[in-house]
Amino acid sequence: MIAPGIKRGTAELAVLSVLEDRPLHGYEMARRIEQQTQGALRFTLASLYPLLYRLEKRGWVRGAWETSGTGRSRRCYRLTPQGKKKLSPIRKEWDELFRALRRLTKVKHA
Amino acid sequence: MPDWDEFVRERLIGISLEPRERSEVAAELADHLEETFEQLRRQGLPEEAAVERALSQVKNWQSLRRRIQVARSKENIMTNRVRQWWLPGFVALFLSVMLLMVNEFIGIRFGIKPLIVSAHGSQMSAPVAVIYVPWLLLLVPIGALAAYLAWRAGGSQGAMLLSILFPVLPHLAFFIVVFPVALVLDDHVAHNVTVSGLFMGLIAWVLLPGIALLGGGLPTQVFSSRRATSPSA
Repeated sequence: MIAPGIKRGTAELAVLSVLEDRPLHGYEMARRIEQQTQGALRFTLASLYPLLYRLEKRGWVRGAWETSGTGRSRRCYRLTPQGKKKLSPIRKEWDELFRALRRLTKVKHA
Repeated sequence: MPDWDEFVRERLIGISLEPRERSEVAAELADHLEETFEQLRRQGLPEEAAVERALSQVKNWQSLRRRIQVARSKENIMTNRVRQWWLPGFVALFLSVMLLMVNEFIGIRFGIKPLIVSAHGSQMSAPVAVIYVPWLLLLVPIGALAAYLAWRAGGSQGAMLLSILFPVLPHLAFFIVVFPVALVLDDHVAHNVTVSGLFMGLIAWVLLPGIALLGGGLPTQVFSSRRATSPSA
């Protein structure tokens, strides 16, 4: 299990990364992140939406109401060009951090 | 199955967002809860357990409301501070001062005397504390109003407490900062002021008004916090 402090830092990266593939609504986003990280990262309603609104205010994601085939109306989020631009340096920063930690702790891939 | 939309709307009462925006946020959060509930039901959980699990995603609705407000607010943090404690605090201070003036005016006009308590018991010699009982009673609803205004603006527990006690802070500052400094630097301030005199002043102008303000403010604070965090719709 990953400590909450580290999770907080990775949350933006997780949301931006999962939106890079396709637009998603909040619930689907949380499910995908959980599935793709095999449960290591879990977003609850309380942790996801303040983050999404923050990213939206920064202009990195944009939310819009869409109606699905079943007639259900949901707010879908997509990555904006500005968000795409931000994703690359954030990825690089985290990659550098993980490599540095690996060197420091001598943790090896299984 | 609960009415998720109604449930979330009740929890978001007091969030400082435009009505349309508030409605959108409520609809989105309700949708998330409903999907979580449906997924849990599909996994075979009984309805009651599924509702409980869906709701366990939010431990503290008041905190969520505040974080959403900060995240969606187009204004800066300074404006939030103004709304969450400066404004409620100054409203309480203004009302407190005005009502004290009204109390004194009416008292003089109709011969209603304030309660005078002496440090020397029944001997009415200085130092004395002049206690305006009607004013103290009026501070109770003022404390409640300050707590309500801070809560409505999405203020934290600390911001609410600060707003409640704001009217006595200038008095406190006077007794612990201004008065001792004036005593040393200003020749016009009598130098025979005793410790018991300061103590009486603190009781009359800080302690008793503080208790009166808390008497109205704390129940409002507790009630609004419970309302914001209550799991039942």
